[in-house]
Amino acid sequence: MAYRHFEAIEKHAGLLGIGIAIMVSLGGLAEITPLFVEAHALKAPPNVHPYDPLRLAGKDVYVREGCYLCHSQMIRALRFETERYGHFSTAAESVYDRPFQWGSKRTGPDLARVGGKYSDDWQRKHLMDPRQVVPQSNMPAYPWLVGKKLDAADIQARMRTLRKLGDPYSDADIAGAPAAVEGKTEMDALIAYLQGLGIRNEPDATTASTGTGGTP
Amino acid sequence: MSTGWSFWVMFLVVLNMGITFFLYLWGPRAKIPTLPDGTSGHVWAHGVLREGVRPLPLWWVVLSGAMFVAGFVYLALYPGFGNFKGALGWTSHTELADAVAANDAKRAPLVERFKLYPVEQLASDPAALQMGKVLFEDNCAACHQRSAKGNVALGAPDLSDNDWLYGGSGSDITTSIHDGRSGVMPPWASLGEDNVKNLAQYVLSLSGSPHDAAKAAAGQPLFSTCAACHGADGKGNQALGAPNLTDHIWLHGGSVADIEKTIGEGRQGHMPAWSPRLSDDQIRVLAAYVYHQSHQGDAATP
Repeated sequence: MAYRHFEAIEKHAGLLGIGIAIMVSLGGLAEITPLFVEAHALKAPPNVHPYDPLRLAGKDVYVREGCYLCHSQMIRALRFETERYGHFSTAAESVYDRPFQWGSKRTGPDLARVGGKYSDDWQRKHLMDPRQVVPQSNMPAYPWLVGKKLDAADIQARMRTLRKLGDPYSDADIAGAPAAVEGKTEMDALIAYLQGLGIRNEPDATTASTGTGGTP
Repeated sequence: MSTGWSFWVMFLVVLNMGITFFLYLWGPRAKIPTLPDGTSGHVWAHGVLREGVRPLPLWWVVLSGAMFVAGFVYLALYPGFGNFKGALGWTSHTELADAVAANDAKRAPLVERFKLYPVEQLASDPAALQMGKVLFEDNCAACHQRSAKGNVALGAPDLSDNDWLYGGSGSDITTSIHDGRSGVMPPWASLGEDNVKNLAQYVLSLSGSPHDAAKAAAGQPLFSTCAACHGADGKGNQALGAPNLTDHIWLHGGSVADIEKTIGEGRQGHMPAWSPRLSDDQIRVLAAYVYHQSHQGDAATP
């Protein structure tokens, strides 16, 4: 390459801009595109199931109230995390989360495996007034959730939409939704969702040790 | 990653490093035409400012070269070049497994020592208490409070007094943590509002608390219903987790209103089982910590 080639690029701002854009995008093309495409091909392991109607409603309450702004659902593969929260999270565990709730900030603790850690009664009191059970807590209270009844037709519509996106809900699952949420409030739904987090979908030891757990 | 994507990544890595390395080598060698005065002929401000032609500074050349070396070494040692696993075979999973193994090895002598004693004796081992405190704050404090004083709003018992719903021996505490506990008191509103009020006064009289003697006397015959769990003398039953009503310790509050609510609506207390989350060794250490909380005043803790 002679000087005139460098000159051609350096003295034409448009050409220089295009050259810079190509070089800067190489990293993203290598790191993001393969994971993006492979994430869509990820299949649910046999122990991960789509949300039942009540938990599905609870998940939507969780998203609406912005719980993810303070709580992650992503246990990293670091000893001090696995010791406190349990097995590290894998991508396959959240195939039915739309959108995923990994979060990026922890003001409160990680919730990926909080299911069953506390009683239903604790969860209810804690959501009504966190200070009642954890005096030093700075979490807001969510008392209005007890006053809101669930709308079964709305939840069935969500299940049908998720089925279009590929979640394996059967007709019987959708038909059974009104019975499952009969008389339940958003508070009941959120508690059911929280109590199911991380239950039974912990990756088994063999997949974890061979490194095919799916953590990118 | 599939083979196709692996080649995609390799291609991009080669392209990126190839272009930049080529420019690094050839850029400084390109011959820039200069005027007799040594400048490029590029001028500003009517010739006051002229562009000189100088070689690249040495520090820049050395630092850029060092970055290329670091990049090649990284790609050789660690995963990054498509599916190539790197010479070190590093993964985040093996790093975690190593960290856990290293920590277990560090802790092993302590864990072995803890196995030698019963829980009651373990409660005077400072190392066990330190480990127990961490476990307690992570797992138990949400209901029982960091102070272990319990929470009346939740019906979570005070663990620092020496009053036990299910027994206070080391093995009782271990069982409570391992399997969890579910306490159920049925609602007695069916007895009628007056009877509930009278019973509440009688229950207050059992512990010698201030009460309405006439109502308590009216409530006494009804207590036979309660005696099935709480005993005829109201001293409770640890096999069922029925609280002692003759002391001044109230699981769900000791005011007249609280006791009427307890009798009329019943109470349910649920402590989750910790065996799925904690190892048996951890549960024993935790039991020792809890045992210690209620025996801190003892002069002769074994």
